[in-house]
Amino acid sequence: MIKIDNIVHKYTVWDDENTKNEKVVLDGISLDIPSSTFMAILGPNGSGKSTLAKHLNVLLLPDEGTVWIDGINTADVDKLWDIRSQVGMVFQNPDNQIIGTSVEEDVAFGPENKNMESSKIRTLVESCLKRVGLWQKRKESPTRLSGGQKQRLGTADALAGVPKCIVMDEPTAMLDPEARKEVIRLIHDLNKNEGITIVLITHHTDEVADADQIVLMKEGHIIGKGTPMEIFSNKELLRAAKMDIPPRVELGDKLREAGIPVPESILTEEKMKSEILRLYNETKGKGEATC
Amino acid sequence: MIRDITIGQYYDVPSVIHRLDPRVKLMGVLIYIVALFLIRNPVLYIVPLVVTIVLYAAAKVPASYFFKGLRGIILLLLFTFVFRMLYTPGDVIASFWIFNITSQGVVKAIQMTARIALMITGAALISYTSTPKALADGLEKAFSCFQRIGIPVHDMAIIVMIAFRFIPIMFEELNLLMDAQAARGAKFSEGNILQKCKGVITLLLPLFMMSVNRSSDLAMAMEARGYSGSHEVSRMYPLRYRTADYVSYVLLALYLAAFIFIRVFL
Repeated sequence: MIKIDNIVHKYTVWDDENTKNEKVVLDGISLDIPSSTFMAILGPNGSGKSTLAKHLNVLLLPDEGTVWIDGINTADVDKLWDIRSQVGMVFQNPDNQIIGTSVEEDVAFGPENKNMESSKIRTLVESCLKRVGLWQKRKESPTRLSGGQKQRLGTADALAGVPKCIVMDEPTAMLDPEARKEVIRLIHDLNKNEGITIVLITHHTDEVADADQIVLMKEGHIIGKGTPMEIFSNKELLRAAKMDIPPRVELGDKLREAGIPVPESILTEEKMKSEILRLYNETKGKGEATC
Repeated sequence: MIRDITIGQYYDVPSVIHRLDPRVKLMGVLIYIVALFLIRNPVLYIVPLVVTIVLYAAAKVPASYFFKGLRGIILLLLFTFVFRMLYTPGDVIASFWIFNITSQGVVKAIQMTARIALMITGAALISYTSTPKALADGLEKAFSCFQRIGIPVHDMAIIVMIAFRFIPIMFEELNLLMDAQAARGAKFSEGNILQKCKGVITLLLPLFMMSVNRSSDLAMAMEARGYSGSHEVSRMYPLRYRTADYVSYVLLALYLAAFIFIRVFL
């Protein structure tokens, strides 16, 4: 789906003496994102992950190297709109990406720009809003939505482009825990049920436990790549990227230290709960037997 | 004061007026205002007043909304009335201290006040009965002929839409800024005019910065969703005239003609 080949991106910055400097934000990034995967890009602030995201939607072009979206080079100016319709984008601040003065108008903005027929726009808007669960609120003003609902609207906006891939640039950074779960659940559903490739950019380690692949970034480099289990079992790597170890993984470690044999592969709350229950019942059974 | 601004307060009920094409409503407001300025005999203001009340009723907009628009300009109305009454030369009917009230002054005062009040209440109806998007679309379509001579009508319509969208957000941010500065000891309601102005500057600057930052984010979001500003776009609800719209145009033409007739021949 997406192939990133050794890209370099530089920003021009002005320092205190008013001299021009170049800051390298992405320094030789190569990455393959296969179709229908859920890829999480994890890294601290300033690691270049948002800059990377903007390359996937041709909002930025690399200074060196190439980005291929479905076999199209993003530097190909004639194919710009083709690429943009393949890759949808959801941004961090929900207020800054909503253009319409009502929910349905906002979703219609993308298809309208594509000069789509009115009746087709209406069916598309309906299906997008139903998928994110905002159909009931279609006539409402976006200012009246909660943070989670705004971000779901942002996702509907991206869906209205009928994309094969959605890039989410820290979509949960401004949300409360409940709304965060709501948004993460939605993108997992889209990934599983519709096969849409998801690139989730975040610095919350607890949001990525269910991802297929995790990429760890630091200072413009990829410092680690692998399944959640591989990444989370490598504590050195997480510490190097200044990332928290997710509470569930830490709990597993503590339990093992205390001599309770929970397997290392457990990363989700549900599995951890059932494993602990299983172990508890086992020991209880043994205890009764010895009595 | 800020809360009295009626722009963009769409009142969502199904009514004949709501269903009218926004272009008809824009033309209606224009003719309504022109007609107001054609009136010379103050008694005739009854006509637009009755028309306005009938339209509010037809639009199912509650009476409280009728006065809501006036609340913001009550001071302006008072000033207009008092100054017109006191400073118009003519036949003195009453006088006290250095002021003379003239019969012409009273007539002029009523005329001006009625004109402004009717203009505001009449024009407010359009924002109660059309969504900002419909208005922007209406403006765009009505002026689309100017696109050919290089006036960026489409861009202007987008600007209007974005303004409607972000005005409430800017007020939210303004409140946030005021709270943040008040928490650090800023006093916005104390001091003389000069000090108050200084207080406003410390608010405007960060508000301006926030808006600039937002605009770059917004530009990116718009671009990501295929907005280029140059190519042909479609509409989810395209504007199409229906019978009611043509009937309204005829009524509007008659309304204007009647006022021109009265002005010229009576």
